[in-house]
Amino acid sequence: MADLTTNLGRITLKNPVMTASGTFGYGMEYDSFFPISKLGAVVVKGIAPWQSHGNPTPRVAEVTSGMLNAIGLQGPGIDKFLNDEHYMPFLRKSGATVIVNIWGKKIEDYAEVAARLDAESEGIAALEINVSCPNVKEGGLAFGTDPAMMGKVVAAVRAATKLPLITKLSPNVTKIADFAKSAEANGSDMVSLINTIPAMAIDIETFRPKIANITGGLSGPAVKPVAVRMVYEASRAVKIPVIGMGGIMSGEDAIEFFLAGASAVAVGTAIFADPLAPLHVLDGINAWLDRKGIASLKEIIGAVKI
Amino acid sequence: MDHECRIKRNEPLKSGYWRIVFEAPEIAAAARGGQFVHVKITPMKDRILRRPFSISNADPVTGELTVVYKVVGHGTAELSQMRAGESCRILGPLGNAYTVPDAETFPILVAGGYGTAALYLTAKNAPQKGILLLGARTKDDLILVEDFEKLGFEVRIATNDGSVGHKGFVTELLAGALEGRDKSKCLVCGCGPTPMLLALGKLTLEQKIRAELSLDQHMCCGVGACFACVVKIKDPALPDGWRYSRSCKEGPVYNATEVYYG
Repeated sequence: MADLTTNLGRITLKNPVMTASGTFGYGMEYDSFFPISKLGAVVVKGIAPWQSHGNPTPRVAEVTSGMLNAIGLQGPGIDKFLNDEHYMPFLRKSGATVIVNIWGKKIEDYAEVAARLDAESEGIAALEINVSCPNVKEGGLAFGTDPAMMGKVVAAVRAATKLPLITKLSPNVTKIADFAKSAEANGSDMVSLINTIPAMAIDIETFRPKIANITGGLSGPAVKPVAVRMVYEASRAVKIPVIGMGGIMSGEDAIEFFLAGASAVAVGTAIFADPLAPLHVLDGINAWLDRKGIASLKEIIGAVKI
Repeated sequence: MDHECRIKRNEPLKSGYWRIVFEAPEIAAAARGGQFVHVKITPMKDRILRRPFSISNADPVTGELTVVYKVVGHGTAELSQMRAGESCRILGPLGNAYTVPDAETFPILVAGGYGTAALYLTAKNAPQKGILLLGARTKDDLILVEDFEKLGFEVRIATNDGSVGHKGFVTELLAGALEGRDKSKCLVCGCGPTPMLLALGKLTLEQKIRAELSLDQHMCCGVGACFACVVKIKDPALPDGWRYSRSCKEGPVYNATEVYYG
């Protein structure tokens, strides 16, 4: 058994496998499958200052080696998240390392949610700033595709909380390094990437888009090589830790991300196919390290030979 | 909750409809009418998501789980090629169930197309044998009629093209089914296309009959995490008067009074 602990700035995770925001609900949905405290961290679905409906249906469509989604950030809002037993009170009891994903339409919205979580931060390990959702008209991606705008969001959140910050980057940019640098310069403790890739699928019988939002975010194994490339480029551009995600289905997939420069990984779409996917990925990482005779995960972070 | 289940039989019924029987003792022991299973169709390699299917029948004694499906896409096409002895991973039983009618209750089941599949177990477990109102596009889409008749249910049919039974919508058969009955002792259970269910729901509210509707949308995780399969239900606390409810977790069966019809 190799040493699987990993350092993400001020926090140390017991293992490097997290869940990708939006794919694991608020943790409770999977608690009947396995103790969610086994994970390196649980990243919950995005929280805004308000309760939100999200997009009309259909919200998902399967494509070759992946899926499109345009859920549109349906969520309970910060009040319910902090007080309703299904959300933060449950997560506190679960013993999981919790990372709260936050979003808003204006910069002040992000700061507001961050401040509220800062004031009730017991059981919260970090915040993840979502500046990269491709499926909501305002906020989200509008911030995430301009490094200066993104920097303003990060700085505002930084001013609102002492909690460690992760900035979740969009792949929908020309030069990912600029965005990682902007996050770092504005006080983000780490970056995570990639969010989904804007994409489209059309039903050729009805001539209609397969999801109501017309376009959606592509995820799953189809995006993995894009994600590995971007993790590689981002991790070379900054000193802060990088969390890699995008189509991870197995331990071997995760290893690629570590070699590219990720200090931790998140499993997302794979969970929809197998609720136990994050644990299988963790087992696979451990088995790979043992097979290679590598004593610690830290030895392979960024170890790709160029 | 996720079980490796061997196929015992996989046979065509008619016109693209199939019946598959799995050896699934844990699921069969727990299943209730209206619930569903989430199936990883083993041969699919480049399609990673599971496929949800209504539980059609479950026998706690034999451990058999029956699903009736129509070949409509990649997943069901692959499933129809699977043979006895092969196996799939099956998550379930998932979701909530129809109320099992008590001895006093007269069940009126309303199905659109192969919505019959999701109503069979409820019919089987109902103490009183009631009526199945079955609507379909044509006679080719009438599935499981004999199965319900064998249970002692009277089957009344409506087809869009009039090829069998009443020409028109299945909801038009409801008034006839209620004739001469004490409405307070009737329970309507519906499964079918959403427009049919919404029409049925409104009708039962007007008639003041208890009704439960199985609503869903394109599903993804099946366990309430992804928020893909949401349906609109009433929520007076919200400014719009409705909210999106996860049909896989809070549903798929909703009381007609909960559903948002706006």
